Amino acid sequence: MTLQVLDPSSEADVALGALAPRLTSLEGKTVGFISNGKEGTKGFFHHAETILREQFGVAEVLLRVKSNYSAPADDYIAAEIPEWDVVISGLGD
Amino acid sequence: MQLSSKIHEAGDFNAVQELYHSHGWTDGLPIVPPTAEAVAACLEWSMLPPDQLIGLEPVRERPITAEKLAINAVMAGCLPMHFPVVVAAVTAMLQPEFLLHGATASTGGCAVLLVLNGPIRLELNTNPTFNVLGSSDRATMVIGRALRLILINMLEVRPGEIDRSTLGHPGKISFCLAEDEDDSNWLSLAEQQDIPKELSAVTVMAAGAPRQIMNEWTTEPEEILETFAAEIRANMRHYSIWPGNYAIIIAKQLRDHLDAAGWSKKDVAQRIFERARIHRREWADVGKGAVVRDRGDTVYPAMESPDQLLIIAAGGPAGGFGAVIPPWLGHKSHAVTLPIGACLDCGPPPTL
Repeated sequence: MTLQVLDPSSEADVALGALAPRLTSLEGKTVGFISNGKEGTKGFFHHAETILREQFGVAEVLLRVKSNYSAPADDYIAAEIPEWDVVISGLGD
Repeated sequence: MQLSSKIHEAGDFNAVQELYHSHGWTDGLPIVPPTAEAVAACLEWSMLPPDQLIGLEPVRERPITAEKLAINAVMAGCLPMHFPVVVAAVTAMLQPEFLLHGATASTGGCAVLLVLNGPIRLELNTNPTFNVLGSSDRATMVIGRALRLILINMLEVRPGEIDRSTLGHPGKISFCLAEDEDDSNWLSLAEQQDIPKELSAVTVMAAGAPRQIMNEWTTEPEEILETFAAEIRANMRHYSIWPGNYAIIIAKQLRDHLDAAGWSKKDVAQRIFERARIHRREWADVGKGAVVRDRGDTVYPAMESPDQLLIIAAGGPAGGFGAVIPPWLGHKSHAVTLPIGACLDCGPPPTL
């Protein structure tokens, strides 16, 4: 006898955010870093900033650190994002 | 009852198992086939329409509907009478202060501890005594398992997907117990949260693995509680120093000594609050000297206040045992207590 059983997954059609159009160059651009604030992020973002400035001509790098590394970015950080050309989000694990 | 979930067909019981395992819809154990009849029975018992919105997952805004909860509850082995507890527990987990996404995604690998209070403990024939942190009874086993299947299937909290736990712990299979209110003179956990004794309630906490303690060689409250405090201090040294909700389980033998000396839960919490604290410099004793920095003399309490300690009366009648259940990570997630099938100080229902 065939059993009919129900799908336990969410099946929810929730719109996810889409990636922004890719830039052709980082020259003169503003890059925002969103760090989760863990110990491992410090060296990573410092090194990433050096590379972006020296090798890609990035004009400005802004570092923002979440107040809670297990929660989404704070509202004030999210509100700043439209002013940036690029966002890099990083975890310190 | 009109259900909207996709229907799958399988040749027999074993085929259902393989179908669900192959989709990643299980915890590795066999599941009860979620037929429309079984799911409808859960919803009818709780008087919930299938499309009832229980809440939205706070980060990804996933709608959590009663029908999907019921499907997963049936799979876990829940009977209709168990389902209201599952609904209340998930509602509690969706409160912002629980920080569901962080708690279930974290490398820290915590589980959701669920504590039952009130008449529902008796209605569901729970066993809050022998082997209370193991497979003590059917109800707590399947209710705890239902929460895990819900996380896996509705929010993709699978190992390596949303669940990034480095280790996890066995409580992630099922981590539910009832408080032994009938053999305790203390206020229940729910009563401490101002929920009347006549109402049933659930408490959820993002919890690490239990750490068992033993002290059978004293009847003095201060000495008994020092053993609990020492275990908390050990957790602060070896795992995380940050303050938050700790839970302690005090089994009957030690509870009787405390009760005989006239100590209430409030007294116990105050004593533990005073004793469970360490200097940051103690990290250097356990290999973490690199992060002591210039704050070695700073004292860190295990809790920000005594009421952050959840004291649970449970466990078998013999043995000077207890357990400390540490928080996932300090105060990032707060324990939440909600009544079951009732609403105290209700706000408007959530909307899509």
